[in-house]
Amino acid sequence: MVEARDISVAIGGKRIVSHVDFAARPGEVSAIVGPNGSGKTTLLKALTGELAYTGTVTLNGHDLSVMKPVEAATLRAVLPQSTALSFPFTVREIVRLGLIGGRSGALPGEDARLPERALARVDLDGFAGRFYQELSGGEQQRVQLARVLCQVWAPGLEGRPRYLFLDEPVSSLDVKHQLIIMNIARDFARRGGGVVAILHDLNLTAMYADRIFVLHHGQLAAAGAPTDVLNDELIEKVFDCRLKVGALPAGSVPFVLPQSAA
Amino acid sequence: MAELSIAGTPGRVMKADGDRSARARLVILLLCLALALSVFLSLTSGASDASAVRVIRDWFTGAVPADAALAGRDRLIVYDIRMPRVLLGVLIGAALAVCGAVMQGLFRNPLADPGLIGVSAGSSLGAVAIIVLGTTWLAPGTLALGTLALPLAAFVGGLAVTLLLYAIATRQGRTSVATMLLAGIAINALAMALTGILIFMADDRQLRDLTFWQLGSLAGATWPKIGTVGPVIVLALSAMPFLARGLNALALGEATAGHLGIPVQRLKYTAIVGGSAAVGASVAVSGGIGFIGIVVPHVLRLAIGPDNRYLLPASALLGASLLLLADAVARTIVAPAELPIGIVTAVAGAPFFLWILLRKRGIVDL
Repeated sequence: MVEARDISVAIGGKRIVSHVDFAARPGEVSAIVGPNGSGKTTLLKALTGELAYTGTVTLNGHDLSVMKPVEAATLRAVLPQSTALSFPFTVREIVRLGLIGGRSGALPGEDARLPERALARVDLDGFAGRFYQELSGGEQQRVQLARVLCQVWAPGLEGRPRYLFLDEPVSSLDVKHQLIIMNIARDFARRGGGVVAILHDLNLTAMYADRIFVLHHGQLAAAGAPTDVLNDELIEKVFDCRLKVGALPAGSVPFVLPQSAA
Repeated sequence: MAELSIAGTPGRVMKADGDRSARARLVILLLCLALALSVFLSLTSGASDASAVRVIRDWFTGAVPADAALAGRDRLIVYDIRMPRVLLGVLIGAALAVCGAVMQGLFRNPLADPGLIGVSAGSSLGAVAIIVLGTTWLAPGTLALGTLALPLAAFVGGLAVTLLLYAIATRQGRTSVATMLLAGIAINALAMALTGILIFMADDRQLRDLTFWQLGSLAGATWPKIGTVGPVIVLALSAMPFLARGLNALALGEATAGHLGIPVQRLKYTAIVGGSAAVGASVAVSGGIGFIGIVVPHVLRLAIGPDNRYLLPASALLGASLLLLADAVARTIVAPAELPIGIVTAVAGAPFFLWILLRKRGIVDL
């Protein structure tokens, strides 16, 4: 379990996140949603120890603030929004960096083949020899996800669940790859791991998230299952936009939902 | 921007699986041979006609040469002039190239170079301060430290500049190229100005000692000097391989390196202290020798990729070889006089550096 109590984060004297309680259970996909600037990424950075925070964050009951980097890296992997490089690494060299801690959890001797397998899972079969810098933004994002998957290949290690923290994992992807990536996240959770993901697409969120945490002006506006959280009032209050949940567009206007994927 | 292609040369043939470790090992093997060849060339070439081959052969076989006086002179030239100079060239070439690679990894930028961003200038300032003020203001320090005072002062100067640069150019784990280069220029100018003030205060004897800092040279190589700076350089360089994996992870950014389990703070401080120590020791004996630190790692990244596990040892080998060759040119091109080696590396390195800039105009975001 990833548990955070009373988390506040201030950057440059300005409070970005205030008194947020958060819990992500193994076996579930927990989504963080909210408008731009509501503090989603800041909260995620506090949960991963990247930013200083007040309050407590625990990973499987252990206090994150006293964990060594290598201990935390054994329990969770983190996908940032985007990663630019200034050196000419190949895709394989990047993905292999996920194995740097040596605790992928794959069977002994399988680590050498994990980069290929991870790349195949994110639909980048055959990309291992390409230069990272020559790929499109969406492809780079999937390479980074493959690296993250290598780090926690097994969703559990020594009987303890492990976690994926994903900051907008599908933001630069086409719809096919959005579904592929979200299926990877759901599969990781079904096999006993935990997933914490920042998402913008409320339809994808409703489809894949087991629990939703809604941030608004740095505070938790709502938390719970999609059916409980996603309602007209909350959407209007948080996103400042009068939308109706479940309303169909008039007559002939086409719409495509991820839920319709076969 | 960095997202766009700067990677390899388009159309470069690479194994489809993107694994360059086999090629890297082969290149390192070839560089070992190149270094052996450079050492041999350096020992056998010079202003005098002394035959290093004969001297070494006599030493191995224990043969007594016919002309004892001539053989004695040759032994002196080979053992006391050429050998320390070659050894110093190897140490300094390796130190400059490896520190270049490490600083580039630390700043996540292929343009970081100890000479370019003021680290060498800081070291020079420290060294010049000891030369000029060592008998007056700093006398207690120089007396207490003896021959270590000079390399130590150079180390402190380099360390101060590196720490200052890092503090200025890095915000929230991201290092700004523009800030780094501009701050480097400012610090460089400041260090040179302070050095200038010291030179202004120097007397004639000190001035002679100082001239060689401006240009860089291996001419001062003696066994006692190697005894002083050699251990510093060897110690600093032997710490660097342990940083290789961490520097690889650091290419993804400080936060991501931390998420991968790298103790980022320790990595940064080891790189900064080790790099400053090696650069400081090099500057203390040879003055400012430019461009080795930027050209060598860059060429090698094109050949074997940026994986520091291979890049660091390969840089040490190529840096040592190139500096020996540059020194051989410096010693022989205007013999019996000699050119400062800094001029040779600058004449060869500066155009190369401009070529790198031209190729990378897209990503050097200034």
